Amino acid sequence: MNKKIKVNVVKNVLQANDLVAGRNRQVFKENKVFALNLISSPGSGKTTLLEKTIPALKPEHKSIVIVGDLQTTRDADRLSDQAQQAVQINTGMSCHLYANQIAQSLSDIDLKGADFVFIENVGNMVCPGEFDLGENAKVILLSVPEGDDKVAKYPTIFRVADLILLTKVDLLGALDFDLKRVKEDLSKLNAKATLIELSSKTGQGMDQWLDWLKAKRTEGIGRQARFATE
Amino acid sequence: MHELSIAMELVSQIVEAAEANRLPRVDEIELEAGILRLVVPEIMQTAFQEAARETIAAGAALILTEKKAKVRCNQCALVFEPHVDDFTCPKCRIADAKVLEGDQIILKSVSCNLSEGNGK
Ligand SMILES: Nc1nc2c(ncn2[C@@H]2O[C@H](COP(=O)(O)OP(=O)(O)OP(=O)(O)O)[C@@H](O)[C@H]2O)c(=O)[nH]1
Ligand SMILES: [Mg+2]
Ligand SMILES: [Zn+2]
Repeated sequence: MNKKIKVNVVKNVLQANDLVAGRNRQVFKENKVFALNLISSPGSGKTTLLEKTIPALKPEHKSIVIVGDLQTTRDADRLSDQAQQAVQINTGMSCHLYANQIAQSLSDIDLKGADFVFIENVGNMVCPGEFDLGENAKVILLSVPEGDDKVAKYPTIFRVADLILLTKVDLLGALDFDLKRVKEDLSKLNAKATLIELSSKTGQGMDQWLDWLKAKRTEGIGRQARFATE
Repeated sequence: MHELSIAMELVSQIVEAAEANRLPRVDEIELEAGILRLVVPEIMQTAFQEAARETIAAGAALILTEKKAKVRCNQCALVFEPHVDDFTCPKCRIADAKVLEGDQIILKSVSCNLSEGNGK
């Protein structure tokens, strides 16, 4: 005779991560810092953008950077001069950051006096979308060389984005990139998200990006990010 | 490839549930994946077997079901089923909707088969 023991669980598989993310969100709120999760494919220009953004926010605003990469401390090194503190997390095998890696970093970071926490996620358009870090806003970078079909190919990440930065727009003339297609695909997924055309090289769109940051920070310190589970 | 990230979280929950309920091993798992998470069933199977290696759930059967998406338009409150790449409201033609269902991955159950002689 066979007997089957069945245990009903009914639990969100990502619950463990979401719980820690919720705690991170609380830490950001208590310290009145605005935290951003920067997500893109490898090489879309996340670090370059932060190299330009952090000095441009000074002296009014101080920034902290947490950078996730599989290997090396290169990106944190690039940012350590300008940021109040730059922390590198090596994720090894993992293609995304976990909330508990942020929680651990936060125990080494002094958030006092800081206004922004920029979290540069591991270059990847898929997995980082699954793992809430407790950020206040998700910023997705899409660079012109990646092609104009990416919004439709990675709908999930663009749907939950608060802001989309189309980066490397200085290359628009050199490549067949249909900006209209990107806007159309985006409007089908997420009419509320802002799209900023930006070039870290020429500075185009930088003011718009800085204004967005400041406005969102003022309006939303402690606000729930759109993917938050609650 | 996000299936492996999900599978690793899944396995730690299975192990937790099995230990809490003193299951000697896990033979079957029911998992419900919301369609908006874009989980590819075959890849999820492989990822699960990989993540479960050398755990109490090694070799278990993964029964995967899909949950449809349901969203509510923030503009006109219409509840509708979106496409994964199109959330445009059929009434007001704007993509501004709150997800009600279909964006979660839920571990539903964990089972163990006890046959006469090997279980107590
Ligand atoms: N033409 C042009 N090149 C840029 C721009 N921004 C960044 N790049 C170049 O793109 C390359 C990658 O930039 P990074 O800032 O390292 O990209 P990343 O997203 O941080 O890369 P990972 O951390 O490896 O994912 C570098 O060679 C940059 O010089 C831009 O606005 N225009
Ligand atoms: Mg980088
Ligand atoms: Zn509507």
